Amino acid sequence: MIAGAILLVVVVTMVIGARGVAAMRTTSDFLVASRRISPTLNAAAVSGEYLSAASFLGVAGLMVKDGVGALWYPVGFAAGYIAMLTLVAAPMRRTGALTVPDFAEARLGSPGLRKLSAVVVLVIATLYVVPQFKAAGMVLTAVAGTPYWVGVVVAGAAVSITLALGGMRAATYVQAFQFGLKMLLFVAPAIWLLLQVGADTRRDALSPVEFTHFSHVTPVEFQLDTQLTITEPTPVAIGAAPEQVLAPGTYPVEAGTTWTFPTGSSVPEVAGAQRPGGETWARPLLDPGGAGHPVLATWSVLIATVLGTMGLPHIIVRFHTSSDGRGARRTAAITVGLLSVFYLFPAVYGLLGAVLLPELYLSGATDTVVVALPARVDGGWAGLLVTAMLSAGAFAAFLATSLGLLLALSGAVSHDLLPGTTLRRLRLTTLGAAAIVVALALPAVHLDVGVLVTSAFAVAASTFCPLLVLGIWWARLTARGAVVGMVVGLVASAGSIGIDLFAGTPPGLASILFGQPALWSVPLAFATMVLVSLRGRPPAWAPAAMLRLHLDERQP
Amino acid sequence: MTRNRRVAVASPQTRLDMSRRRSGVRAAMPHLAPADLERARRTHRLQLHRAVATLALLALLIIGLPVVLAAFPVLDDVSVAGIPVGWIAVAVVPYVFLVVLAAWQLRRAEQAEE
Repeated sequence: MIAGAILLVVVVTMVIGARGVAAMRTTSDFLVASRRISPTLNAAAVSGEYLSAASFLGVAGLMVKDGVGALWYPVGFAAGYIAMLTLVAAPMRRTGALTVPDFAEARLGSPGLRKLSAVVVLVIATLYVVPQFKAAGMVLTAVAGTPYWVGVVVAGAAVSITLALGGMRAATYVQAFQFGLKMLLFVAPAIWLLLQVGADTRRDALSPVEFTHFSHVTPVEFQLDTQLTITEPTPVAIGAAPEQVLAPGTYPVEAGTTWTFPTGSSVPEVAGAQRPGGETWARPLLDPGGAGHPVLATWSVLIATVLGTMGLPHIIVRFHTSSDGRGARRTAAITVGLLSVFYLFPAVYGLLGAVLLPELYLSGATDTVVVALPARVDGGWAGLLVTAMLSAGAFAAFLATSLGLLLALSGAVSHDLLPGTTLRRLRLTTLGAAAIVVALALPAVHLDVGVLVTSAFAVAASTFCPLLVLGIWWARLTARGAVVGMVVGLVASAGSIGIDLFAGTPPGLASILFGQPALWSVPLAFATMVLVSLRGRPPAWAPAAMLRLHLDERQP
Repeated sequence: MTRNRRVAVASPQTRLDMSRRRSGVRAAMPHLAPADLERARRTHRLQLHRAVATLALLALLIIGLPVVLAAFPVLDDVSVAGIPVGWIAVAVVPYVFLVVLAAWQLRRAEQAEE
């Protein structure tokens, strides 16, 4: 049934895409369509493209793992559209630019800057799309019991087939439909869960107690290689072996093994994670891994998400569908409202997950908490039905975002980086990109979806945010300033995230500065761009190039 | 049904860029008529002021609220309808604030163009 639900989402998406395309016959149909689409419909399309696996699964998963503070992620995801509305939406629409590389060329007239922007698109899209594939793999693992790599390959195949059949064109209707679908498939199960769990569980969820002892016989299937610390003698059955009592000490666990803890057994500690329900867990601030700087960590995530939203390559294209600058601005404003409704609900899954499935913190599968909850609450057909709904919604989120990003990514490669464009090559590039992303997602199993997506936001905030904001509001910006500032921002943000990913997380304050570098890399990029621009001289046409972005299209 | 010739649809900037690549000639750089220039200057200044005000309020939320929550951990122990105030402050309050802020900024930005 779950596989059927997922298949249904893929097929319906393709049918709507194919019909939307069939309805448009001529070029003028295509161009006129943008003038008929209302800001509300366009806002639904923007939200549809934006609500990714990070929103659908990642936030609730991070909440189980890191605590209530994880709710700052969706605040930043929604607040990003305030920055978009205030600074970018209308002027960007008036440039006529579809992408940031387009914008760079239109505003600063520099082909070199266009190429650099395309490289940045590549980095952002890769960081954003890999966790989407990871989430799809995890969902299929959780609901079908297949190994992780099978899930990722199946997800890759689904995306490639959809792309090859030409489904899910950038049709606004498809994305708007996707938004409605995700909203329904996220909100209805949340309400069902709240009603189904009973008053006791609801009360427990609101006054959490640290997860120190197992309340029932709990099998834990470890998804990752884990280091467990046991502080008191703990009875446990490892694999099929009979129950034994482990003495206090540190135990390595290999991924794939199952440990079954009996009722009342004490919960081991996992290096780098805190047990759900504890004092620090319940604090509404982000303190991943207990680094001890909750305010700085929270700010860093918020700066990345708020300022990064405007630079996401798959979102900015959407605003071009508005008829004019005013329409784009209205679209951004309505998007804030739509996202605000959706983001009221991840907290429901996170809080219930921390009470009902705290053992996910041991197994490392916190990203699956949303799809695992219904079966825990109801073992019958109702639980299965809701699991199917949530899996389908998660897959819809994965599909919508991945397809948008892969198209943006291959557009940047085949249009901006290589000379000349053909539709055939665009399609081949997209399929090639999908294959590379699958290869990258396979070793990414231990990365949190929400955290990796936020890295993509951090890179966007350190590169495209200064380019767009200064390009739109400051006439003295020079092409050289933009290039140097973007290179500095890219190296600072992507570099420190890379060090964090490949060399391991450093301890304490450094873990925040490297893991979520936006707090310092964004000001650095802005400062570099301003200082280098001030040393140069913008061309004589620069004020006109900037000011025309602020003129209303309708003549007075 | 008549079959139309297929035409590549691209943004104006893309078309500009592609034609330039083919001909090797730079397109004319943007310019504004003097009357438009003056009007654009006024709008730009006004929009900038209004944008800064909105961003200041947004900063108040994302910079200020975490500080308040860190400074007053007692908010976690007070609860309204069984829910800790500290949780409501991150799960609900920001969204109400954002929606109001979006409506306010939209209205003022549109007024500035009239």
